[in-house]
Amino acid sequence: MIERIKKQIAKSEKSDSSKIGSSKIDGFKIVENNITSSELFFVKKGLDMYRVKDVHNFNITVYKNFEQENVVYTGSSSAIIHPTMSDEEILQVIEEVSFAASFIKNKYYPLVEPSRKIQPQITSNFSEKPLSEWLPILTGAIYNSDICDKGGINSSEIFLNKVYTRIVSSTGIDVSFTTYKGEMEFITNWKEDTEEIELYKHIDFSEMDYDLIDEKVKEMLIVSKEKAIASPTPALGKYNILLNGTPVIELLGFYVSQSSAKTVYNGMSTAKLGENIQGDDVQGDSITLTLDPFMKNSTKSCPYDSNGFPLNSAKIFTSGILNMYHGDFRHCHYLNVVPTGNISNFVIEGGTHSITDFKVEPYLEIIAFSDFQLDNLTGDFAGEIRLGWFFDGIVTIPVTGGSISGNIKNLQKQMYLSKELQKDNNFIGPKIIKLLGVSVAGIE
Amino acid sequence: MKVSMSSFLISQKPILKKIVGILSENYKYVSILGTDTKGKIYNVQRTGIDLSDSFWCERGFVIRVHNGVNYSEFSFNEICEENLNTIVGKIELEMTKTLENLKNASITVNHYDLIEETIIKEQFLGEVNTLPSNLTSKEKIEKMCFIKDSALSYSDLLVDFRVAYHEVHVSKIFISNNKELEQSYIWSEGYLVSIVRRDENTKYAHASFSGLKAVELLHEMENSIEKVVDTSIKLLDAKTVIPGEYEVICSPEISGLIAHEAFGHGVEMDMFVKKRAKALEYLGKSVASELVTMHDGAAAARNMSSYLFDDEGVLGTDTIVIESGILKTGISDILSALKLGTKPTGNGKRESFERKAYARMTNTFFTAGNDTLEDMIASIKYGYILDGTMSGMEDPKNWGIQCMILQGNEIKDGRLTGEVVSPVIMTGYVPDVLKSISMLSKTVELSGSGACGKGYKEFVKVSDGGPYIKAKVRLG
Repeated sequence: MIERIKKQIAKSEKSDSSKIGSSKIDGFKIVENNITSSELFFVKKGLDMYRVKDVHNFNITVYKNFEQENVVYTGSSSAIIHPTMSDEEILQVIEEVSFAASFIKNKYYPLVEPSRKIQPQITSNFSEKPLSEWLPILTGAIYNSDICDKGGINSSEIFLNKVYTRIVSSTGIDVSFTTYKGEMEFITNWKEDTEEIELYKHIDFSEMDYDLIDEKVKEMLIVSKEKAIASPTPALGKYNILLNGTPVIELLGFYVSQSSAKTVYNGMSTAKLGENIQGDDVQGDSITLTLDPFMKNSTKSCPYDSNGFPLNSAKIFTSGILNMYHGDFRHCHYLNVVPTGNISNFVIEGGTHSITDFKVEPYLEIIAFSDFQLDNLTGDFAGEIRLGWFFDGIVTIPVTGGSISGNIKNLQKQMYLSKELQKDNNFIGPKIIKLLGVSVAGIE
Repeated sequence: MKVSMSSFLISQKPILKKIVGILSENYKYVSILGTDTKGKIYNVQRTGIDLSDSFWCERGFVIRVHNGVNYSEFSFNEICEENLNTIVGKIELEMTKTLENLKNASITVNHYDLIEETIIKEQFLGEVNTLPSNLTSKEKIEKMCFIKDSALSYSDLLVDFRVAYHEVHVSKIFISNNKELEQSYIWSEGYLVSIVRRDENTKYAHASFSGLKAVELLHEMENSIEKVVDTSIKLLDAKTVIPGEYEVICSPEISGLIAHEAFGHGVEMDMFVKKRAKALEYLGKSVASELVTMHDGAAAARNMSSYLFDDEGVLGTDTIVIESGILKTGISDILSALKLGTKPTGNGKRESFERKAYARMTNTFFTAGNDTLEDMIASIKYGYILDGTMSGMEDPKNWGIQCMILQGNEIKDGRLTGEVVSPVIMTGYVPDVLKSISMLSKTVELSGSGACGKGYKEFVKVSDGGPYIKAKVRLG
């Protein structure tokens, strides 16, 4: 198929110059994806549906350099090419994107050139046998601890994808790799004397790790039990907050966004090299952040980014100081910095205090939100509390309802990262973050 | 102008019928959904332009068979006379073997009855004022650049002004032994995003536009530039809300968010099958103020999720979910209806041919009341008008609600004070919120930009809305 597409690109360049998009192009990139998947859908422990997927897609980007009023531009446009397209349809798509590339005024940038460096492959034990043969094992892992009387798994979904990617470009790039993307979603219920409650969990993984899945289920059952006996969250006003688990990742993702070359180039971040992102008088822990394209058991690990740029580990912040911007070849060229390529795994070093230290003073620890969100542009964050633990200095009780809100830019000087780390798909970093003076809208 | 059906799908009909025929020799129910969705997304901002295919683009097929116990599906996108045996073999041999292996691993398989279908052959072709092809991509980009440049010249506080326009042409075909359905329609959506900065304080405001329209949407967008920029500048001086319970007026957009998050998700009937919906216990009971009536359905309104048939070949309907405060029924995909012994409502939707169908919302809205916005404002001692959807999250089991809202405009002693709070998180217990609705304005507005997920995935297009509503909610 790639050869067919290349042939049509050549044909488009030779075609009648009066036709749309017929002029010469300055480059192209074709990304091929072949995704096969096996999927199971359960209600309680019964299999409700079995699905299989086998899809093959191609995405083409065409680049054109042109000059207007003494400014050089690199125009580009991309489109999907379906395997069922005829040669005529493919030619039409190429002509359309070629036409678009000729008037899209983006500042000039060079295209990624092939690298002689041999990249490590992403390995996974899922490659040891066909996808379908992992299904009973994955099912066993998710239901292994579903043995409680008062609660259990309400329903679950299991997806196991094998993704073949090949990237071919006009500059001579021709790289390919295979990755695995596993996904599990499960709902847990629990009923004590009050009404039955439910909680939601989503896990991403790229390797078969039975114990990890089993642990996540056990953890969710414990948390569900706590939620079933939770009291309404008190109206605490400004309070010390401990964020636990997934919200930590959402919060710390702010620093990945702020240091991105694209965000900086677009003026959405004012982060400057050599300066402390948290300000000059940080009293809490400082951010040390590394991007790691080869993180184990991450669905985001890959040897090349979508431009075929070879990826390597990159240390972005050291003790809050911005060492380097990160991002694709284009935006790093704009900022005149060394490109890192797009890397989606990040590691943040733990802080100086243990979780036990955090729990000496009164706190509200939040374990589960309806949907914790941080706005990377403004720094505002908020979420409705589905389960928290409130310690008033004497007793600790589970609480639910109400919400928290704040702004990371205002709170980051007194942000404390736990020594203890968590690993969640594409993130390794503190398990808990302590923030001081966060607004809590309670319901009691 | 009439929208045209995908010639690709029409050309594949004989092969699809052949597959249904072959598989029907071994399976008592066989259907195929074919999709061919084309679209472009245009983005213009200060630092560049982007034009690529829409992320809703797809071209492929999903076969559903009754495997003797329940249903199995195979999604694929390579089809020709020569590979028919491979497709059939995938279902008859490979998938059958895996199912056996799962049963041998002591996994129980839930039973589903056969889908019974009446004979239907229908076609639906949507209409738009101006087809996407009436303007070249260059002309669209030029219009968008004009909008951006006009906005950027409006205030020095702007660090960027983004214009997005997204046009999508959907074509679908559904073939089974009794059904032969075709539909094709166009929708579009657009966004204006004004980003302003004063010192290190960055704020933004947005306006969204959507409908079963095409390039006419760009004209609508042109008229809202100043309003969006003014709102964003005002947000630079916004305060944070003091957490507590307030009387509020929700704009039609926020009314829609409440209809969608508070109740829409809670009456998706696959949740009834899983016993994940509290609504199941409240059928026939009061869940809202007597002033509240809520609809959902592909045929309930002409908006983003208006279609002839859903992704399971069931014709769209108009469902009255809440009538005068009483919960009447839910919305359903076909398999949940089979399980519950109810009638499917044409709400079985897929993110794409690659994904499973679930019970999903279509066009969800509260109906109008008899009040004026002025009277509603005058009735509030201290509260806010809430406007600007950022996001929402459902909790069908425990009826919690989380809505992230861009701004609240303060009302004191029945008058707007000009003070603004931002952002605002609205939470509460669904029946408390719905029962607190005491006034509704006379005009219903629906909008359908963005996408609706089930949990954190399975995104589909929907619209939602309502009139201005007055309610009591918790803000933080």
